[in-house]
Amino acid sequence: MTNHKLIIDVKNVSKVFSDGTLALDNVSLSVKKNEVVVLIGPSGSGKSTLLRTLNLLESPTKGEVFFDGISLTDETTDINLLRQKMGMVFQGFHLFPHLSVLDNLRIAPVSLKKLSIHEATITSESMLKKVGLLDKAKNYPNQLSGGQKQRIAIARSLTMSPEIMLFDEPTSALDPEMVGEVLNVMRELALQGMTMVIVTHEMQFAEEVADIVYVMDKGQIIESGSPEIIFHQPQTERCKEFLKRVIEKK
Amino acid sequence: MDFSFLLDPYYINILLQGLLTTVILAVVSVAFGTVIAIGVALLRMMKSKIIRFILGAYVEIIRGTPIVVQLIIFYSLFHVKVILVGSYDLSPFIPGMFTLFINSSAYMAEVIRAGINSVDKGQWEASRSLGMTYGMTFRKIIFPQAIKNILPALGNEFVTLIKETSVLMYSGVAELTYQATMIKSQTYGFMESYLVAATFYFLLTYPTSQLMKRLERRLAKSDQS
Repeated sequence: MTNHKLIIDVKNVSKVFSDGTLALDNVSLSVKKNEVVVLIGPSGSGKSTLLRTLNLLESPTKGEVFFDGISLTDETTDINLLRQKMGMVFQGFHLFPHLSVLDNLRIAPVSLKKLSIHEATITSESMLKKVGLLDKAKNYPNQLSGGQKQRIAIARSLTMSPEIMLFDEPTSALDPEMVGEVLNVMRELALQGMTMVIVTHEMQFAEEVADIVYVMDKGQIIESGSPEIIFHQPQTERCKEFLKRVIEKK
Repeated sequence: MDFSFLLDPYYINILLQGLLTTVILAVVSVAFGTVIAIGVALLRMMKSKIIRFILGAYVEIIRGTPIVVQLIIFYSLFHVKVILVGSYDLSPFIPGMFTLFINSSAYMAEVIRAGINSVDKGQWEASRSLGMTYGMTFRKIIFPQAIKNILPALGNEFVTLIKETSVLMYSGVAELTYQATMIKSQTYGFMESYLVAATFYFLLTYPTSQLMKRLERRLAKSDQS
C-alpha cells in the first residue's frame, strides 16, 4: 500500500434497530484506496449491518461514517451523489426484472450521469465483457442462473465507475457450483486494484484476497489484522472459537 | 311475463339512454377515481405520520361504510341547485359523481398501495445504492413492476363500479336502474323491467372482466420471458 488515502472511515458507530436490538456496538474501521477489506463472523454478528451503514442503507444511531472525508449523515451531504461512487452487490442480486440485462446496466448511467444511450451502451457492453456475459445483453434477469445474475449485478454497479465496491454475502444465495464464477470476477476486480469491502462466509476466498480481515461478533469487531494472522494465529479466544466452528462445518 | 315493451321504440330509447349514462358514469368515475387514488397512495407513502393517518382513515372509513349511505350524506350536504343544460337537469350528478369518485378512489388507493408494496424491498435498495433518487427509483424501477399487480385489480374495480353506479338512482340520476324503475311504473312489468336492466349490466361487466382476465394472462406471460 503506497497510497494511504482513506476512502471510508467509520468512527464509533452504533446501530440500534427499532425493535431494540443492538446490531452495532461502537464500531470503528477504515478502508484505504486499493484495499480489500473482508468482514467475517457468525450470522447476526452485525457484518451486513456494518456494510450497509457504509452507503447509508442503514443510518447509524450513533457515530459517523465518512466517505472521501465527507460525513454521510451531515445534512448538507447529497447521499445520492456519494452512492454513485459506491457500488453495492447484494446477496439476493436484486436485478431489475422488468428490464433487459443491457438496460439493467444502462439505467443508472443514463439517468444519473446523463450519458447518451450510445455512450452508456458502450460502457455497459465492456462491463458485460468483463464479467463474461456479453452474450446475455438482450436477455431478461429471470432467464439467467444465479451465478450469472450475480455477475450481472456486479457489472451493473461497475457501470457507474465506483471508487469502492461493497459486497454483502454475494455468494450466500448461490448453488455451490456457481460460487466459483462469482468469486473469479471478484478476484479479477481485486487484482485490478478495486477498493472492496466484502462480507462473506467463504473463508478460503477471504484469506486469499483480503488485505485486512475484520472479525465481528455481537455487533463488535473482536479482532482485525492480516489474513495470515487472523486465520493462523488468532489472538482472541472468541475469534479462535469462531474459526474452529467454521472449519468444523466444512 | 310480458317483454313486449322491448319492441316499443319509446322504451328502447329510455333504456339506451340509461345504459349510456351508466357507461359514462363508470368511465368518468374510474378515470377521476384513479387520479385521486394515485395521489392518495403516493401521499400515504410519505414520512409525515399526520398525513398517513388522515389518508389511512379516509380509505378505511370510505371502504367501511355503504355507498348508498355515502351518497345520501353527500346529497344532503351539497344542496345543489338545478343546473339546466338544455332541458336536462345536471344537479343530481354532482353529489352522485362525487360519491363515485370518493368511493372508487378509496378502493383503488388501497389496490395501488398494495401493488407498490408487493415489489421486493431489495429493488428499492439496489436502485438507491446506484445513486438513483427516491423519485427516479419510484418511476423507473418500482412503478413499472407494481403496475403489473395493479392493472388487473383496477379492472375488477371498474367492473364493481359499473354495478355501483346503480345507487345513483337514489339521487335521481337517470341511469339504467332508474330507467328500469320508470319503465316498471309505466308498464307494471315489475320483474321484466329489472330483468332487462340486469341483462344490460351483465352485458357490460362480463366482457370487461373477460378482457381483464386476458390482460392479466398477458402480463403474467411477459413476467416469465
